[in-house]
Amino acid sequence: MEIEQLEIRDYLSQCAPLNKLDDALLDQITHALEISYIRRGKELLTVGEDNQTLYLIRSGALAVYDAENNLQGQFTEGDWAGYRSVMAGGKVSMSIRAMEDSLLYMIPGSLFKQLIEQYDFFKTYFSRQKPERLRGAILDIRDSREDILAVTQVKDLVHGEPLIVEESTSLRELAKLMTEGGYTTAMVVSNKRLTGIVNDRSFCTKLAYRELSLDDPIIKIMATHPLTIPANSMGSDALLTMAEYNIRRLPVVDGDRLLGVITATDLIRRGSHNTIYLINEIYRAKNIAELRNLSRHLPATLVSLVHNGMNSYDIGHAISSIGKAIVRRMIYFAEKQLGPAPIDYAWIVAGSMARNEQTGLSDQDNALILPNEYDEQTHGKYFEDLSRIVCDGLNDCGYVYCPGDVMATNKKWRQPVKVWQQYFNKWIDEPEPMALMYSSIFFDLVCVYGDKTLLDDVQKNILNKTRNNTIFLSLLSANALSFKPPIGLFRNFVLEETGSEQKALDLKKRGVMPIIDLARVYALSAGIDAVNTRERLEAASKTGVLSHEGMEDLRDALEFISTIRLRHQAAQISKGEKADNYVPPEQLPSLERRHLKDAFDVVRTMQLVLAQRY
Amino acid sequence: MLNAIIPQSLYRSYLLRRVSSGPLRKYLETPLPDKNSYLNDSEFLSLDFETTGLSADTDKILSIGYTLIRQGRIVLAENGYIPVDPDAELEEKNVVIHQIMDDHSKQGISFSVAIEILLEKIAGRTVIAHHANIERTFLDAACKKLYGHGLPLNIIDTLKMAKQRMEQQHQTIKPNSLRLFNLRNEYGLPRYNAHNALEDAIATAELFLAMASYRSNDINSCKVKDFL
Repeated sequence: MEIEQLEIRDYLSQCAPLNKLDDALLDQITHALEISYIRRGKELLTVGEDNQTLYLIRSGALAVYDAENNLQGQFTEGDWAGYRSVMAGGKVSMSIRAMEDSLLYMIPGSLFKQLIEQYDFFKTYFSRQKPERLRGAILDIRDSREDILAVTQVKDLVHGEPLIVEESTSLRELAKLMTEGGYTTAMVVSNKRLTGIVNDRSFCTKLAYRELSLDDPIIKIMATHPLTIPANSMGSDALLTMAEYNIRRLPVVDGDRLLGVITATDLIRRGSHNTIYLINEIYRAKNIAELRNLSRHLPATLVSLVHNGMNSYDIGHAISSIGKAIVRRMIYFAEKQLGPAPIDYAWIVAGSMARNEQTGLSDQDNALILPNEYDEQTHGKYFEDLSRIVCDGLNDCGYVYCPGDVMATNKKWRQPVKVWQQYFNKWIDEPEPMALMYSSIFFDLVCVYGDKTLLDDVQKNILNKTRNNTIFLSLLSANALSFKPPIGLFRNFVLEETGSEQKALDLKKRGVMPIIDLARVYALSAGIDAVNTRERLEAASKTGVLSHEGMEDLRDALEFISTIRLRHQAAQISKGEKADNYVPPEQLPSLERRHLKDAFDVVRTMQLVLAQRY
Repeated sequence: MLNAIIPQSLYRSYLLRRVSSGPLRKYLETPLPDKNSYLNDSEFLSLDFETTGLSADTDKILSIGYTLIRQGRIVLAENGYIPVDPDAELEEKNVVIHQIMDDHSKQGISFSVAIEILLEKIAGRTVIAHHANIERTFLDAACKKLYGHGLPLNIIDTLKMAKQRMEQQHQTIKPNSLRLFNLRNEYGLPRYNAHNALEDAIATAELFLAMASYRSNDINSCKVKDFL
């Protein structure tokens, strides 16, 4: 029985930042450890005295007070105390008192200082502030099996020289170039700028089908205005872009320079997940039954994305892209059944799918925007039927009917542009509780199918109207502050009844929702058109309505809470359970509990800032 | 038992005149700790034996775990664990309890060397044990067997401390409430899963610190004799 085998050493090895030390150092620390017990109410450190000991709270809780006896913080199991005075040469400037009977592990200050000098991460851990600690934690929490695509730039995934041809090249010439050079794709340029893309399939679908001549210029078969991706984007961005637009090739550009083409195959070969396969299958589904079967893969896809260490922002995009693909395919089926639409329309999705923040199947929130020439007598029946087919189909696929009836099947949400404009004007000018409830849905919109300009027409004036509209913004803020993070005054977790016996943290309602709501207020107050929460926060900090630090803190808090939530859901799915948002804190390692508290603290602080503003 | 009635210091001077050499002599040459010294000025050795049974006459020591309390703190650097070769087959019942396989304990050191090492550690210190009767009687029997005499020793029993406290507070003592695990729980001490002599010695030491801090409002005013 050696000291190395002690349970105390196990405990130390799980506490940050000791968890990053090697075995020999952990043994050294265990060996040097002393243990003391302090009764509730007793003082551990007194202002002015000399301290040469680092304390780790093994059980109990300590409170820190400044010289005026104001409570500065509370610390609990797994937290450290005394390091500030040791780092300051020993002089104690804040007193520390036991709030509960506490068992403390003591590490000699000399050893602590030695570790700080030797290891940067050790020093960083103890010198950085809470939000910085959170930032470090996000990196730590990620599975070490980080997806290669998330860390590889697309320029490193492109291989070989691209085939670049002028617009005037004939089809005959291009066919020769491609065949002889073994190219499947050619990029078309005019004045050195990319204007189009031709791939081997274009010859079949366009040239043969349209009975073109081999002497015609390639401009006749090329796909114009191709999407491109900057060379420094990550592989995962490329994959998400392909998934979003259902394309399999993306030209890679570095400024004006064309570097090559990246294909879905390149990415899939490198990556390890199946989002793009699933989306492809969705677009190939022949009927609603097939679509329903494919939608059942969504939970497994979420599990694999989480296991691959993708961040929650990318996972939200991937899962939402799958959802959008299902909506688009469903609309395709409806149009196939009903015939082409008599007039243009825009199919709008709202809520988490619009924000690209879905984590799985959820309620459907959708609407239809029709052009102003819409006439109910003539066109009403078509769009009513279309909505019915799509919404029923989505419900079949697991995107269940919206309990608040915000769906295109509801006539109120199937209206021409001018009526939508009236709705928004009323919500903004005469905000009432109902309108504010709608705001969380209708200020997060994207068009997934049809004529996007219809949505643009509706939204054109919204941001101008909301920006600097104090009355509207103050009511929206009040609404945004209605859900508080689940943390009490003394950093204790506030748990909710979950229906089962165990109480838990509601990481949706009290975790991510408060951040989503904050971001919406910033976006609407600064006239930002982004819909995704992280993108809204980033844009808000550029306009100045949100400080840069505030943005980083909130973004990190969102990422951390979302990651815990996603991992919880992935674990539930893996066990064959239904995924939910209720995480019992005792299921989390003590370190993660603490970082979660840091994250909630950030949200609480930012809510207070907002409350003071409006 | 004679040991319990006569002052241990008197017993020590008596033995000093009769034991002229060997480990026991060495032990006796160090004075027993001063019972009037303050807790923080005195050293304690928290001790735990694993044995094949409860009888010091017929059962054997399987392993010895100990840790030191100095200046009111547990000093892990002074931990020790001694597996003892019991020189006899184990009784099945106890093997299960302690999760010690026959093979493992055979790797231990001999009984006489183990006791010799232990005496060096105990010298000049007050022993702490939970349900100390086991440690007291086994140690006494061991010394009698090896050196022909018993062992003068000051020993604190955390179980007895808990029992006295409960009686003073007129609490009814429920079965199991005096067990190490339950008492630790009562003082908010963490749960240890391991069950071996060293972990138990540390667990007992922590319990002692917790109980001592509740004995008086100012722990620095507590003396060793308050706990004996």
